Amino acid sequence: MTHPMIQFDKVLKAYGALQVLKDLDFSVDNGEVVSIIGPSGSGKTTVLRVLMTLEGIQGGTMYVNGEPLNKMNVDGQLVDASKAHIRRIRSKIGMVFQSFNLFPHMTALDNCNESPIHTQGKSKAEATEESMRLLEMVGLAEKANHYPSQLSGGQQQRVAIARTLAMHPEILLFDEPTSALDPEMVGEVLEVIRDLAKSGDYTMLLVTHQMGFAREVSDRVCFFDGGKMVEQGKPDDLFGNPQHDRLKQFLSKVLEAG
Amino acid sequence: MKEPGPTNGPGNTKHLRGMSMNRIAIVSALIAFLVGMTFATFSEMRVFLPAILKGAVVTVQVSILSIALFLFMSVISGIGRLSANRPIRWASIFYIEVFRGTSLLVILFWMFFVMPEFGVTLSPMVAGVTAIGLNFGAYGAEVVRGAIAAVPKGQTEATIALNMAPYKRLTRIVLPQAIAIMIPGMSNLTIELIKATALVSAVTLVDITYAAVQQNQLHYRTVEIFFITMLLYYVFAQFVRFGGEALEEHYTRHLSKRV
Repeated sequence: MTHPMIQFDKVLKAYGALQVLKDLDFSVDNGEVVSIIGPSGSGKTTVLRVLMTLEGIQGGTMYVNGEPLNKMNVDGQLVDASKAHIRRIRSKIGMVFQSFNLFPHMTALDNCNESPIHTQGKSKAEATEESMRLLEMVGLAEKANHYPSQLSGGQQQRVAIARTLAMHPEILLFDEPTSALDPEMVGEVLEVIRDLAKSGDYTMLLVTHQMGFAREVSDRVCFFDGGKMVEQGKPDDLFGNPQHDRLKQFLSKVLEAG
Repeated sequence: MKEPGPTNGPGNTKHLRGMSMNRIAIVSALIAFLVGMTFATFSEMRVFLPAILKGAVVTVQVSILSIALFLFMSVISGIGRLSANRPIRWASIFYIEVFRGTSLLVILFWMFFVMPEFGVTLSPMVAGVTAIGLNFGAYGAEVVRGAIAAVPKGQTEATIALNMAPYKRLTRIVLPQAIAIMIPGMSNLTIELIKATALVSAVTLVDITYAAVQQNQLHYRTVEIFFITMLLYYVFAQFVRFGGEALEEHYTRHLSKRV
């Protein structure tokens, strides 16, 4: 039996009385590229943040490749996961942030080397070889010794993607990766993400406002509203023939705007 | 049509201004030193200057040891204040609030005059260093805490996404960035600390201030004696200022360059 790579089972996320995710059931298959769209406050970024364990959840269980993430099996019982368990499962997940979050006191190369050396215990030479290959892949090998402050937004985001790949995740989460970029830099970042999606090496979950891009690269698109998944389907179906009124409204507004 | 001329970046001008200020301060400290030496050698000042300089050595000793304790306590309790571990957090808060809330002079008297009542006798030097280091450490802890809290949250989130261990997150990512933020506050406190060492004269240590009072009673050269006393503290403070600026420059060198 094959497990979904990511599975949310009745996941509840609330800030006080405000429920951001309401008993969310959601799953992503191995190698699948899924885009999440929706208005702000719909909970779409929260899906990524709780999966990355940046925020705790108040109910339900998340599974990564069949193993529980926020829980663990002890004598057949699901109990709250230990920190070690979370770290072990989390090593399969990488995340690219809207605001890049590169370490400003380290060069592009050192940013990429940080996790391989200090989390995975690789030697500096081994890590550097791999990091240089990844920087080459995102077209920034010649910027390896530059600090983030010396790079443009698009370049910073591409370094951030290389840094994430350096830890060999199976799942890649992209949280509005081009929202903080100047328009002329969006293309270079999308190109890198497109290549990753086409490679089929990663299970990808992409929160984006770039509808055209979501339609192009995704195997499936999910529309979130009010903490629930309202509609999902193949990109052409969802964009070409939306069923729910809420999605129709959303698409007409977004497409009108640009 | 007006073309905007080539402008220096804000980092540039700040850098230049910092440099010329430094140079002025160094030159004036040097002149003061030479004038002092001249007086010490050739004027009547030689009757009291050696005693004051001997006091200066004590002030430097107390300062260096107190600064070491101050920095240690600041970092330990500043981090402890933010710890997820409740006993560590409470212990840090207790320490910070007790020492921020009480007078340094009273703490000093406790160390020197009260502790022997409980069987703990401290030398004047140890009592002075402990009281000053602990007192300033409580203020420093708040500077450290503020600096750590000022590091953008996204930095910690990136370390979680990269699956780094909590200890590495702190030492490799958060603290190096927090240091840049805490330097101005910490050098301010260090200068305050050096001036506060004058209080150790209250527990029989003969520092600059105590020596100055003694020499004044002997020679009645009030103006010269207290002018030199003031000058010495000023020179010490300048050392800290230069050190702080150099450190700040070092830790922000990659942050200020914006291309």
